[in-house]
Amino acid sequence: MLKKLQLKKHAMTAISYMLPLVVAAGLLIAIGNLTGGQVITNFKSGYSIPSALTTLGVWGMGLLAPVISAAIAYSISDRPGIAPGLLSGIISYNIGAGFLGGMLGGFLTGWLVAFLVKYIKVPKWAEGLKPMMVIPLLSSLIMGVVMFFVIGQPIVWATNALTSFLNSMQGSARFVFGALLGGMASFDFGGPVNKVASLFADGLLLQGVKQPEAVKILASMVPPFGVTISWVLSKIFKHKIYSQEEEDNIKVAFPMGIVMITEGVIPIAAVDVIRMVVSCSLGAAVGGGLSMTWGIESPVPSGGLFIVPAMNKPLLFLLALLIGSVVTGLILFAWKKKPSEEPKKEEESEEDIDLGDIRIS
Amino acid sequence: MKIVGIAACTSGIAHTYIAREKVMKAATELGYEIHMETQGTIGTENELTSDQIKEADFVLLVVDIKIGGRDRFKGKRVVEVSTNTAIKAPKKLLEAVVTKIQNA
Repeated sequence: MLKKLQLKKHAMTAISYMLPLVVAAGLLIAIGNLTGGQVITNFKSGYSIPSALTTLGVWGMGLLAPVISAAIAYSISDRPGIAPGLLSGIISYNIGAGFLGGMLGGFLTGWLVAFLVKYIKVPKWAEGLKPMMVIPLLSSLIMGVVMFFVIGQPIVWATNALTSFLNSMQGSARFVFGALLGGMASFDFGGPVNKVASLFADGLLLQGVKQPEAVKILASMVPPFGVTISWVLSKIFKHKIYSQEEEDNIKVAFPMGIVMITEGVIPIAAVDVIRMVVSCSLGAAVGGGLSMTWGIESPVPSGGLFIVPAMNKPLLFLLALLIGSVVTGLILFAWKKKPSEEPKKEEESEEDIDLGDIRIS
Repeated sequence: MKIVGIAACTSGIAHTYIAREKVMKAATELGYEIHMETQGTIGTENELTSDQIKEADFVLLVVDIKIGGRDRFKGKRVVEVSTNTAIKAPKKLLEAVVTKIQNA
């Protein structure tokens, strides 16, 4: 049943549509803030370019809930889902149900639209009206009522409870939370687990909780930096742990890491999964725990080293990042085996996976 | 055996292309003719032509998200797997699908 609902696929579709918006809006806020911009409240008196950028970025963040909601609805019910999905999302944004409301609203909208498209029958003369008027009006009306009066307030309440819980955490609880989030964020190098952690942090940012975002940024950079550190160590101590091909990959992964793209390390991780995942997750967990403990906040969700100046404690962030990366680097350096000198055999061994439930339709 | 397919992952910058490469390499080694389209964040690349789709024995969707242009495959045999599956075991995947089709 759960599998049939394809919750994950729809959520992943939403994330993939949301990412460019998060990055653009986040960087606009960062550039604006760094150049002294502030959110414009009065458009009648003049405003500066930095303020315009900051404002645009903040508006872009405000679009997140509508875009998530619309993308989920689109993923479920195709094009008819987009309009009511946007509306559900904007309700969520405006009543303060944010990102969680956007996700839930998106799913409900998608299922509702799919249901309406399938079961509403109109006479022949009204067939043109069905996609043009009947479906958009009915779905928006129903979802509007549901969002405003049924699910909106409980989500606002839940969001506030989560927010105040996170804000009230103290001491070791903070470290554990940061470690968990950091470990998750670097666990699969930009894959689905990372996206879940990332989604969580982005959602909290919209609610004004800025610390998980710093953990996410840190954890996304630990794998490439950690690998680079282990490579530098291997050069210094003349203890070869990477093949020529892997060294070339590291030279690509490092600059990608600076802008917070973790995916550069995938080619290196693919040939040595367990060691890479363990060492990177541990390093990111240590760094993430420290980041939470030190109360580092990032107002920007993406951008890598370039947005560190926008954080509340840039130097401590760099220290946490360095410690996390060194942990990863040291583990890799100590644990990785010498690469076999002979060129890699073409016949790569494949993992055993369950192909039993493949359906051909 | 002629195959057409689409690869698309969540962030659309890495797994999409790794999956395409793995599947294409595996198919070529098994002696199949294959065309793979990618739908990454940058947009659609290596778009399938209608001739390629018409001649294909089946459609292999290596996708984690909703893809565009699915209606092109109406009436064709469609197999859908995650990028993860295709990256981990592309050959086994293709062999399993082909066996199923030949037995069907």
